[in-house]
Amino acid sequence: MILLFLENFLISLSSIFANKTRSILTALGIIIGVVSVTMMGTLISGLDKTFESSMSWLGKDILYISRYEWFGDMEWWEVRNRPRIRSEYVDKIKERSKYALAVAPVMQRGASLSMDEKETRTEIFGTNNDYMETITTNIVQGRFFSKNEDRSGARVTVIGDGIKEAFFGENDPIGKYIKIDNVKFRVIGVLEKQGKFLGLFSVDKQAILPIGAYNRIFSKRGWMRLSIKIPENKIEEGLDEISSVMRHLRGLKPNQKNDFAINQTKAFEKNYNTLKLAIGGTGTFITLLSLIVGGIGVMNIMFVSVKERTKEIGVRKAIGATKGMILGQFLMEAVSICLIAGLMGLSISYVLSILLNKIFPSTLDLGLAIFSILISIIVGVVSGAIPSYQAANLDPIDSLRYE
Amino acid sequence: MILIELKSIYKIYNVGGEEVRALDGIDLDIKENEYLAIMGPSGSGKSTLMNMIGCLDTPSSGIYQFEGEMVQEMDDDQLASIRNRKIGFVFQTFNLLPKATAQQNVEIPLIYGNIRKAERVKVAAKVLEDVGLADRMHHKPNELSGGQRQRVAIARALVNRPSIILADEPTGNLDSKSGHEIMKILDQLYQDGNTIILVTHEDDIAQHARRIIRLLDGKIIEDSAIKEK
Repeated sequence: MILLFLENFLISLSSIFANKTRSILTALGIIIGVVSVTMMGTLISGLDKTFESSMSWLGKDILYISRYEWFGDMEWWEVRNRPRIRSEYVDKIKERSKYALAVAPVMQRGASLSMDEKETRTEIFGTNNDYMETITTNIVQGRFFSKNEDRSGARVTVIGDGIKEAFFGENDPIGKYIKIDNVKFRVIGVLEKQGKFLGLFSVDKQAILPIGAYNRIFSKRGWMRLSIKIPENKIEEGLDEISSVMRHLRGLKPNQKNDFAINQTKAFEKNYNTLKLAIGGTGTFITLLSLIVGGIGVMNIMFVSVKERTKEIGVRKAIGATKGMILGQFLMEAVSICLIAGLMGLSISYVLSILLNKIFPSTLDLGLAIFSILISIIVGVVSGAIPSYQAANLDPIDSLRYE
Repeated sequence: MILIELKSIYKIYNVGGEEVRALDGIDLDIKENEYLAIMGPSGSGKSTLMNMIGCLDTPSSGIYQFEGEMVQEMDDDQLASIRNRKIGFVFQTFNLLPKATAQQNVEIPLIYGNIRKAERVKVAAKVLEDVGLADRMHHKPNELSGGQRQRVAIARALVNRPSIILADEPTGNLDSKSGHEIMKILDQLYQDGNTIILVTHEDDIAQHARRIIRLLDGKIIEDSAIKEK
């Protein structure tokens, strides 16, 4: 049985190589199919990795209170009419909540940073001493500002790795002065390098200042949000509690709706999963389509092959080939075409994924590679089935007479 | 010993609502080491009879015993196995696989007989040597003359040591010199104890046989022995 299997494989190889152009054209359909299967899988796993690392930057145990929902469908004027988040809430939430481990107000705006002749536009953040607990980034040089510096509105700043690179290069920035919108600030710390959030914008070009200084110099207006850290295993309880504290602070009656939003990374996850499903669904559909088209190509060529070799089939039957042996021979031919095409497609994908990895995290994993080869074998079996069955059931006398 | 026993064999086709009796009650015994020629004009049923004897076709009715086995009761796989082990076909148009060498063509019945590669190579080479093609083993059919091709076909027919050799117009596509050589090989095979059935419409070819059967309209009209020359 194994012997016959091997023989059939050799016969099919010789038949494939005897019709090179035809085989290559047929294989092309399968190659495209396999490339799209593997690239699709690679893309999705790359997306997953990007998302995971971006989410870890946000932190799963952080609640973000602001006027707008991240993925809400509210009209802009409804959001605008909601009352602002106020800095007084910070202490009140700390006082009343037993789950809030850290509460950081965050104000944000664009600003111009400069030092000597160097200048760059970036985002600046005004926050308090709790801020470090609500982010996962570490300080790699110097320190974060203290409670006193926060209260007194000291002109100190913690800068992102990108700013440090741009302004100081290899030099030590600690204790040096930079200008934020022409106001001098002393650099006291540098944040660890982060990379891009969701591959969209860099969080490394930022400067963090005490909220006191921020308010004094850059106005108290502008939107504030609160980042609240709660114990990771008490997220649901924390959410309920913070929500009721906020309602109380706002003096809402039981029948009134929330006029604030509590966001968490879960909202990202939900939206991401929807997006992933959409990409994956479309991708699977296109991939399936290209494999079907490829499979039809193989089936077509197998019908031609059976027709061309009717006489051969007759001879083989006359000298003792059973139906099963003929079936095996042609099935093996279809599978061989698909298998070779699958391997070629896989090599193309491998090269593509290496190139792509330079701009987007994409690695072709082994499971996906094996899966794509399995898929090509299945396509071979499915598309070879009918032609092979036809070949196996040819009448030996008629086939011998066929010219 | 009786090798083949046909008892009131009928093969009836339905062509356009009309009944065609390709074989119309054939009774025939073929013994071991016979040299038999089947003759008849085209349409007489000689091809059908040959296909029947060669287990490529099954009768509409009647009994066919091959070495005591009931052929008409066999399924496709059993028929294939009989063809592989017991019958060697030689066709008018040689029917070699064009892309395979002489050696590979001769090996095919051994592949279907599930014989290991090393053994196959040895056996095929031996048989090719016997038909005088020792120096042509690795040539493809299009590199061989007609006579050589037919000798490859004979080697292929012999390679599984069959009980009978069925030759359908074996010289039909050959010039007279090559045809003569092929008949010499068949005569020799008969001398060595093989059973040979020839299908031909040429009298001088039929004269090589020891027994001639003439068919007409699906019936045997003559069954005569030829004396040793």
